[in-house]
Amino acid sequence: MPTTLDTSAPAKDRFLSAFEMSNGQALNGKNASISSHREAAIQRFAELGVPTNKLEAWKYTDISKIVDREYTLPLSMNVPDVDASDLDDVLIEDLDAHRVVTVNGRVHNGLSDIGTLPDGVVVSSLADAGANHPDIVEAHYGKYADFEDEAMTALNTAFVQDGLFVYVPSGTAVEKPIYAVHLTVSDADVMIQPRHLFVVEDGGIATIIEMQHTLTDARVFTNTVREAYVGARGNLDHYIGQVESDASSQVQTTAAYHEDNSVFSTNTITLSGEMVRNNLTITPDGEFCESNLYGLYLGKDQMHVDNQTLVDHVHADCVSNELYKNVLNDASKGVFNGKVFVRPDSQRINAYQSNKSIVLSNEANMYTKPELEIYADDVQCSHGATSGQLDEEGIFYLRSRGLSEKRARILMLQAFAQDIVDEIRVDALREHMTHRLRERFASYFDRSE
Amino acid sequence: MSQSETEYLEGVASKEYEHGWHTDVESGKAPKGLNEDIVRYISQRKDEPEWLLGWRLKAFRYFKMLMEDEDSYPEWAHLKYVKPDLQDISYFSAPKDKAQYDSLDEVPDELLETFERLGIPLQEQKQLTGVAVDAVMDSVSVATTFKEKLKEKGVLFMSFGEAARQHPEIVREHLGSVIPYTDNYFAALNSAVFSDGSFVYVPEGVRCPMELSTYFRINEQGTGQFERTLIVAEKGSYVSYLEGCTAPMRKENQLHAACVELVAHEDAEIKYSTIQNWYPGNPETGEGGVYNLVTKRGICKGDRSKISWTQLETGSAVTQKYPSVILKGDDSVGEFYSVAFTKGHQQADTGTKMVHLGKNTKSTIISKGISAGKAQNSYRGLVKVGKNAENARNFSQCDSLLIGDQCGAHTFPYIEIGNPSAQVEHEATTSKVGEDQMFYCHQRGLGEEEALKLIVNGFCKEILAELPMEFAVEAKELLAIELEGSVG
Repeated sequence: MPTTLDTSAPAKDRFLSAFEMSNGQALNGKNASISSHREAAIQRFAELGVPTNKLEAWKYTDISKIVDREYTLPLSMNVPDVDASDLDDVLIEDLDAHRVVTVNGRVHNGLSDIGTLPDGVVVSSLADAGANHPDIVEAHYGKYADFEDEAMTALNTAFVQDGLFVYVPSGTAVEKPIYAVHLTVSDADVMIQPRHLFVVEDGGIATIIEMQHTLTDARVFTNTVREAYVGARGNLDHYIGQVESDASSQVQTTAAYHEDNSVFSTNTITLSGEMVRNNLTITPDGEFCESNLYGLYLGKDQMHVDNQTLVDHVHADCVSNELYKNVLNDASKGVFNGKVFVRPDSQRINAYQSNKSIVLSNEANMYTKPELEIYADDVQCSHGATSGQLDEEGIFYLRSRGLSEKRARILMLQAFAQDIVDEIRVDALREHMTHRLRERFASYFDRSE
Repeated sequence: MSQSETEYLEGVASKEYEHGWHTDVESGKAPKGLNEDIVRYISQRKDEPEWLLGWRLKAFRYFKMLMEDEDSYPEWAHLKYVKPDLQDISYFSAPKDKAQYDSLDEVPDELLETFERLGIPLQEQKQLTGVAVDAVMDSVSVATTFKEKLKEKGVLFMSFGEAARQHPEIVREHLGSVIPYTDNYFAALNSAVFSDGSFVYVPEGVRCPMELSTYFRINEQGTGQFERTLIVAEKGSYVSYLEGCTAPMRKENQLHAACVELVAHEDAEIKYSTIQNWYPGNPETGEGGVYNLVTKRGICKGDRSKISWTQLETGSAVTQKYPSVILKGDDSVGEFYSVAFTKGHQQADTGTKMVHLGKNTKSTIISKGISAGKAQNSYRGLVKVGKNAENARNFSQCDSLLIGDQCGAHTFPYIEIGNPSAQVEHEATTSKVGEDQMFYCHQRGLGEEEALKLIVNGFCKEILAELPMEFAVEAKELLAIELEGSVG
């Protein structure tokens, strides 16, 4: 039975009573390690409460007004039906991949087309993984996404039911990308809390693409937590496309942990949503790790997107690169808070961070806070942040070459965004994103004319 | 350079922290503790007009509210220290002799000797350096030079208390107009119990003929200093103000919570420079040392006005200050140049706020942090571009240098953009002294310490160049002294 949150009670109590009601029945998964975290997590959530903008980390993003709605919590195992044609509409063309579809946070086997995977590789639901691979889940689940100071992670951990599970055994390369299509379907306002776990063992190589869609006009609030582990010499290339409806909001927490000589890259492209908060924490805990963080946000209407990143250099001799770009139009708001943390004795760290924004309208606001917190001396760390308009000289040049004003501006914006899109190493996805970006930029000028 | 100036600089450049002694001037001191009676006592002792007492009391009542609310204490900074016990501080002390002097002759020899040891021979400075000095010893101004010359131009340069009595209309108009007493915890405290400070008023069209300078000195055991400085530059005027500080050595923590307000009207320019070299606490244990928790803010009220902050922070156990500029007038300019040097157990959380409100406003922030030993050094800044601040322009650069592997350097810049025509750039770097640079210096025959001094001076050069000449030389020496013992 779906549980509807009782909006007469304060937001925090609603979740506590929903937890009480569902605990022992719907919430009891098949896996002991998943269930064992629930009690501690709900207790911590009870202490922390729903974040408000009085907290420094939530200063510019008031998620409490999003949380404070009459959502249903779909806690039953039943998944609503989705037409295959609806799925076809959202799929990326020409993307040859192991496709896995989730509906409201649960893996839908009927719509998925995983195909043949290399030996030992697992792409399944987290619930199944809990039953079939309890040792892997036990070793990694809840180990990276700490809920001590994160109320939304605590909430997710208390209510975890399902999500995507990917396992790549030692020395195995998954050649085709794993393509996750996350769909939200609901007639009523709904809150879902998917939980994903990606484990790439020593020397494993994988690419995971996640696209988030909503097939509903109802208000959707998604509270995702994703944990990723990359073993020594492993390589995980990760992409998130946030293309939900304008009535959708989400808090998305990604915690990645990687070991010696490994590479973890993540690229988040946000094109729509009402309020989106992305928490990204990367911990390179080994020597010669490379962490890459890329993000692009194209704001329109009333969108509010907040990217929080933390690279926690707990080990010496690592490199991290970070580049986030924003284009803000209409009354959209953008927040970026990037932090590079170099722990004592983490010597010889090279960490680069850059945040660039173009603000196109008077109503748009950009809040940037690029931080460095450094406790070791033999390091090279830098950050840069810029905010400005399109370069009028560049536009003049293009116009002198015969481009219309509109074409010139679109081209300039595309050039700005291309730095992020170029980091996509899957051709079909890059084409798809380039096309979407072009459409978006064109729409900026169609309206104003 | 004249002989006496050289001596003066050499005095400052002496190696140990030699300003750590305690002058034996008996003080007229208020009992420890903070309450409404103390506020009234301070006001009465200073012979203040009724309205000023009223303002203090309003501030005090507000502060009382803050004291009762534990959450109101500002704990967000990247600092770890024991909160000062506000009830264990004496809020007023005046040298025992009468509070005002007409000429230097009336100043007791003991006080003059103190200044001598500090390296500020007032008499000689008067003739040789062209700097008027309003020396604040504890809380009451003891000597003011060059007053006459300034008077000719119509420049008012006097202690705050004097100004409140002689020019109440100017003080009343501007006091709290930039930093209201509700601004923050320490601004509220200062507004209630401020002891004295400097007041500068530059009339319309006047270029102040000399650099104005105040030497602050915390002297009496157990007295926090709560200066209040107000500088008003009328239309088309210019003033450059220097502030420099040293403090005697002692064990208990000393609280220093000053407020500095600057008001620049149309086409006016204010240049405010600070050298702060207060007792940083025991270098081994971190014990003692001054808490420097200061609110400094200027407003570019008129069009085309300019405010520039330059600071060299080398002392204090804890420093928390953010000299800020509100760019209200169109085409106004704000600047912030800072070198913060921390070593031993020192902690600094400093930076600036540039609030762009007017059109075509420009701001520049250049901040250099140097961290050695077990010190923690943070830059925290805000660049805010308001909705109507067309064509606002900001450039920020924050560089940190780390010397030794147990120190920390941190950057927390906030950038808030509310206007699309704004162009804002921020860049920051953190690194240690390059081995290639050291190698080059060694190769040219410089020892390790000399090389480090050279490199650090080069790192800070663009800031030091912003200081008035007298300060620039002193600053360079000061940095060199601070660096000693940092190698290895």
